[in-house]
Amino acid sequence: MTQTAMNTAGMAEKISIRNLKFFYGDNLALKTINLPLYEKKVTAFIGPSGCGKSTLLRVLNRMYDLYPRQHAEGEVMFDGQNVLDPNQDRNMLRARVGMVFQKPTPFPMSIYENIAFGIRLYENLSRSEMDGRVEAALTRGALWKEVKDKLNSSGLSLSGGQQQRLCIARTIAVRPEVVLLDEPCSALDPISTAKIEELIDELTTEYTIAIVTHNMQQAARVSDYTAFMYLGELIEFDETTKIFTSPSDKRTQDYITGRFG
Amino acid sequence: MVDAAMTGVISAGMDSAKLKRMRRFRAGDATFRGLTLGAALLVLLLLGGVIISLIHGSIPALSTYGFGFLTTQSWNPVTEKFGAMAPIYGTIVTSFIALLIAVPVGIGIAIFLTELCPPWLKRPIGVAIELLAGIPSIIYGIWGLFVFAPFFQTNIQPYLISFFEPIPILNSFFAGPPYGIGILTAGFILAIMVLPFITSITRDVFDTVPAVLKEATYGLGCTTSEVVTKVVLPYTRVGVIGGVMLGLGRALGETMAVTFVIGNAHKISASIMAPGTTISASIANEFTEAVGDLYTSSLIALGLILFVITFFVLAAARLLLMRMNVKAGN
Repeated sequence: MTQTAMNTAGMAEKISIRNLKFFYGDNLALKTINLPLYEKKVTAFIGPSGCGKSTLLRVLNRMYDLYPRQHAEGEVMFDGQNVLDPNQDRNMLRARVGMVFQKPTPFPMSIYENIAFGIRLYENLSRSEMDGRVEAALTRGALWKEVKDKLNSSGLSLSGGQQQRLCIARTIAVRPEVVLLDEPCSALDPISTAKIEELIDELTTEYTIAIVTHNMQQAARVSDYTAFMYLGELIEFDETTKIFTSPSDKRTQDYITGRFG
Repeated sequence: MVDAAMTGVISAGMDSAKLKRMRRFRAGDATFRGLTLGAALLVLLLLGGVIISLIHGSIPALSTYGFGFLTTQSWNPVTEKFGAMAPIYGTIVTSFIALLIAVPVGIGIAIFLTELCPPWLKRPIGVAIELLAGIPSIIYGIWGLFVFAPFFQTNIQPYLISFFEPIPILNSFFAGPPYGIGILTAGFILAIMVLPFITSITRDVFDTVPAVLKEATYGLGCTTSEVVTKVVLPYTRVGVIGGVMLGLGRALGETMAVTFVIGNAHKISASIMAPGTTISASIANEFTEAVGDLYTSSLIALGLILFVITFFVLAAARLLLMRMNVKAGN
């Protein structure tokens, strides 16, 4: 990995990934990754399919735990705690590290319940407090205006773009500290994509965000830092402007100019 | 005809060989359509035939006893006084007991298999369930009569009787001498028989829940039990209810195993440990000795009632699903 001197003075590392290796069975999918995620910044992960971007994201909230033959080695420090520690409380971790998936995943319940569901797991609120929280989350998710008159209809009745914003609203309703976005716009039309990008921009005031994307322009638009991955390795990590104007590695340059990948 | 005129215009530029072939295609198409339509109509015809013959066969009994056939308990071939209340009661109660046991256990097994089971255990349990479904009902019958009933009589029934004795209303349900055979035993055997149906269907529909939806739920910090109760079950409720209804349909109609263990007594007892009978058990037991038109006709009328009950169960299930869908906002 080549990393030029960055202006990182005064920036807190929310998550520090150190010597992370990840295995699918015996298959090494991530080869010794070292990477910081800076607090209240957007870090974009780019690279060809199968390079390990999503895998890396799924390590950060231990989602891989659901599958018996996957395991990780190394260290992922999150506010001084190792995420990979087997004794780590996964449910608490996932409340602090929210995740949004490639395909919208509204739960089979009403729009209101989709948001209230996550909040209810951790807090015992009165009806009016809950109403406030749901409205706040939907407003934050740039969806409130469109759904305020049909909060009781099914989350599945929304359009794809609306569903995805609902999922983002649901994720931030739990008030996580880190939000992981796994290709959140790949199933959406350009208008919905623009809305979600605006939303990401607003969210950085409060949240640390990691986003996987196949869309180079999107990475350039929304992120402060960009990590380029290739075949399970982190090739380059730098400020986004640097990556897209003068990358230090030949492979990064080839990829962002579309010569391979 | 517009259609013919259109073909005329379109086919104007074609040579005759091509036209001929087209006509042959069209004839083949029409034959195919007719065959599939015939197959579909055959179902309606068969259903109609069964209904009509059931109604026709039960007319003598129903016209003799009228509505009283449904509310009379006595079943006396000697005096030719027949009433269907005891078998109806037995059918409904045994099926209810069966579902009461099999639904929670079946759904529990399905949850374990899809969400919690270590991979090496998944196959053996899955195969065991398929095998359980494949056992012929006569085997459940003899097993129930020679193995389960004696065990139940000596080890469980006395305990149940003494346990429920001090509890006011429940003690009448669990009263009486421990016969071994009876309504409750039949319910247990039925539960074992419908369990594989409920389990394998709920397991299959649980498997249809997209992994990403479960991940999203886990991603909020949910535990497995929350994922199952809040997302997996609501997402699959149509399929789960379908599985339960299939089980209920099997329980209502099951004949052989029930006939062995229910005791075949045409009476309604408050205690569920007393012997009773079901519609199908009555028919199976008595059709050989049914001499006289009224006796035969009464048995056919029992069959008609079973048919109607099954029909209403299915209709109720549909209604339930529709109302649940409305509530869920679809």
